[in-house]
Amino acid sequence: MPDAADSLTVLSWGGAYEHAQRRALFTPFTEAHDVPVAVDNYNGGLTELRQAVAENDVPWDVLDMTRSEAMAACEEGLLEPLPPELAAPAPDGTPASQDFFPGALGRCFISHSIFATVVAYRRDAFPGERPTRIADLFDQQRFPGPRALQRTPAANLEWALLSYRVPREELYRLLSTRRGLDLAFARLQSIDNIHWWEAGETPVRLLEEGQVVMASGYNGRFFAAMVERDLPIEILWDGQLQEHETWAIPRGASNPEAAQTFIRFATTSERQVELARHIPYGPARRSAAMQVTTHRDSGLDMRLHIPTHPINAQGAVTKDETWYARTQERIEALFRETLFREALTTQK
Amino acid sequence: MDSPSTDSVLTRHPLAVLRFLGLVLLGSGVGGVAALAAVGFVNAVVWLNDLLLISPRGQMMAADTTLVILATLLVPTLGGLLVGQLHRGLPGGRPHTPADAIAAVQTRRGRLPAKAGALSALSGLVSLGAGASVGQYGPLVHLGATLGSLITRLLRLGRSEDNITIACGVAAAIAAAFNAPLAGIVFAHEVVLRHYALRAFAPVAAAAIVGYVLATQLLAQGTLFHITEPGVPQPWEFALFLALGGLGALVAGGYMHAILAMGQLARRLPLPTSLHPALAGALLGLTALWVPDILGMGQETLRFATLPGAYSGGELLMVLLLKLAATALCLGLGFAGGVFSPALVIGTLFGALAGTLVAELGGGQETFIFYAVCGMVAVTAPVLGAPLTTLLIVFELTGSYALTTAALASVTLANPLAAQLFGRSLFDIQLARRGLDLSAGRSRAVLQETRLTELISHDAVTLAPATPLKAAISRLSQAGHGEAYRVDGRGRYQGCVTLASLESFREGSEATTLADCPETPRPVLDPHASLWEAMQQLQKVTGEAIAVVDDERRFLGVAYESSIARAFLYHSDALRREEHGAG
Repeated sequence: MPDAADSLTVLSWGGAYEHAQRRALFTPFTEAHDVPVAVDNYNGGLTELRQAVAENDVPWDVLDMTRSEAMAACEEGLLEPLPPELAAPAPDGTPASQDFFPGALGRCFISHSIFATVVAYRRDAFPGERPTRIADLFDQQRFPGPRALQRTPAANLEWALLSYRVPREELYRLLSTRRGLDLAFARLQSIDNIHWWEAGETPVRLLEEGQVVMASGYNGRFFAAMVERDLPIEILWDGQLQEHETWAIPRGASNPEAAQTFIRFATTSERQVELARHIPYGPARRSAAMQVTTHRDSGLDMRLHIPTHPINAQGAVTKDETWYARTQERIEALFRETLFREALTTQK
Repeated sequence: MDSPSTDSVLTRHPLAVLRFLGLVLLGSGVGGVAALAAVGFVNAVVWLNDLLLISPRGQMMAADTTLVILATLLVPTLGGLLVGQLHRGLPGGRPHTPADAIAAVQTRRGRLPAKAGALSALSGLVSLGAGASVGQYGPLVHLGATLGSLITRLLRLGRSEDNITIACGVAAAIAAAFNAPLAGIVFAHEVVLRHYALRAFAPVAAAAIVGYVLATQLLAQGTLFHITEPGVPQPWEFALFLALGGLGALVAGGYMHAILAMGQLARRLPLPTSLHPALAGALLGLTALWVPDILGMGQETLRFATLPGAYSGGELLMVLLLKLAATALCLGLGFAGGVFSPALVIGTLFGALAGTLVAELGGGQETFIFYAVCGMVAVTAPVLGAPLTTLLIVFELTGSYALTTAALASVTLANPLAAQLFGRSLFDIQLARRGLDLSAGRSRAVLQETRLTELISHDAVTLAPATPLKAAISRLSQAGHGEAYRVDGRGRYQGCVTLASLESFREGSEATTLADCPETPRPVLDPHASLWEAMQQLQKVTGEAIAVVDDERRFLGVAYESSIARAFLYHSDALRREEHGAG
């Protein structure tokens, strides 16, 4: 058992997501293991981690990372490898390797949730017809009004190519060509009036304030806004980009034993089911996915709101995280250069 | 011959049913093996392309631009070098293709050589892996056919079974690689067997189903061609699809002749044959630095061509011409590979070009995909000589009935036109150039491929020209023959004389030896002549036999009219049983 005086610092994403984690994971962990949990916020990216590891001054014990970033960080040696037996078996004894979805158990990470980047729109913005396909994001004739998009290539490039009716199976093959990237950028540039967002809460606020009529964002945040704040928005599930969210331990973390204990605790089926009662992210293990029930606060059936539900998943794109892990920096540089005219040299 | 005896029908029936079921079981076994090989092949090509930085994905994943440029230049060149070395182990120095499988089945020869098949598959894998602009379905089809033939031989079954299992291997390979079982079945019948006997259909269908099921389980990469909800074309556009078919036939002709011409040109290159593919690889890599779209099978190029606006009209034309040239270069200079995938790309680019023109003249962009698919079909179907297969591929891969009917309009004109102008398919043109004419059907192909050698009889009266007339007549009478062959001291054939002419000659002149007798005009046959040629000669002859004489007019024996006729009946009957028998 780690020293009670030790606290665990978790780097996570803030907002409704952090709130859910606090109720389903952090507080119960402190109760069970007597280790207080402090939370730090970020918006993704490896820059800070890289710097911290280089300076040998890593302020976090556990990282909540997207799988593509975890893969890239693992390859760069920024993460501690995890022992293969770290994840607990399912309640019925099924070993973790069979219970987790394929690709969920990495060398340096364990996936805990499957979330989606989706488009949401204001219900009152389009009185006639409603958007039903991801191509409608780019159709400002039928669905006029400003849009909010994340200031990253991910999701935007995929959606842009989907709007040309590229089948989702071929997205990353085509995005690997200059021609494919040019087509995607051309589609993005054809949108009038884009608000580019970086923090996960921004698109919700922009929709709420009516500054935009359609925005991309994380499905959990939109759900929270719909259910808790009764915002008149609707999620367009077509084209949802599914991604794994993982736990990882940075290299040089000051309290790796406590970090491992936390990860084992947070990835049990029981905690996974509990987390899905606070925020609609699909659990990354089968035994938990089977047990998703109702929302803690509103009593809504959460199964209809998680990205992996069959109805929602019809037009889902699985993010090719191996592709992103290897190309992220270059694609991002190109993205900024093309859309924001930022010189390539200023990018890290 | 079958006698309509109730008895024999009753006793034969259960056995025939069992044999038929055995054949179906054999078909599914062959299908399983061929499909596994096909799936392994397809996955290996993808893996090699990613590893060797040939596929766009592989190139994108490699951060280093210099490395990508080096790979583009070196990988096809070194691949070509390796292919050249592999082909030295092949008879004729060329890889075997579906044309060889077709020839084996059409002539009922069967027995595809295992070593040549394995080496051809390997060199196909190297060619495709190294990014040569060739297709993968040709090697897959030949590999499937070879495995089918091999299994029949291992089980010591007959030629008839051999032909059917070759077709089974082909069907399973197509079914597995395309995820298209119907297309696999129809391809095996339409292109390889060229008949639709129930006896062959059932095992072929079983093979295709097994291939399809295995592929859906094992092939991670999805199907070739997803189309999401195409629109509905205007009625007048069907006229354009028809016209597109006509023009596509011309593109197909250009494509086929470019490949053949490059093959001819290669013979005049002042370079050892084993280095030809390396030269092609170097030229391909160099061009690909400028236009990367021509490298490899071109799946990305194919997809982009179906998206309106992905290429401008000028780009479409340029990539089309370069892809055509690159494919002709690679195949003509000896890379191993098929003609189908490049034809798909070229056809789609051609259709997209037509679609772009129509859009510029005021037509709708909504139906762009129809033009792309019609162009694809119009070029591919004539090259393969397989309109039904191509239609089914479109149907099974897109699941769109609207697209299939548009494609139907296209092949309606494309195939007959190309057949009239160029030939039934590239395979048929290649085989015709090797001396096997399939245009008159399988019965003629079988006769053309059957050699006279085994029919040569030595039971004939040969007489020296100096033989006295009287002695000659008595020799003939004693032997019970009506014809004698004059053969001189050096074994040279000096013409044929009949007993009747000798008799009439003895009455009316004072000639004393055979040499003085005028010869009865008779054609002679070369020992290497085919049964077909013998049948042709037979039409000019009334008599017992035709002399068989070699190049130096040495007498080798005779071929009796009755044995030629018997051989003809035997082969016709075997063919009839194979194509029309039910079990």
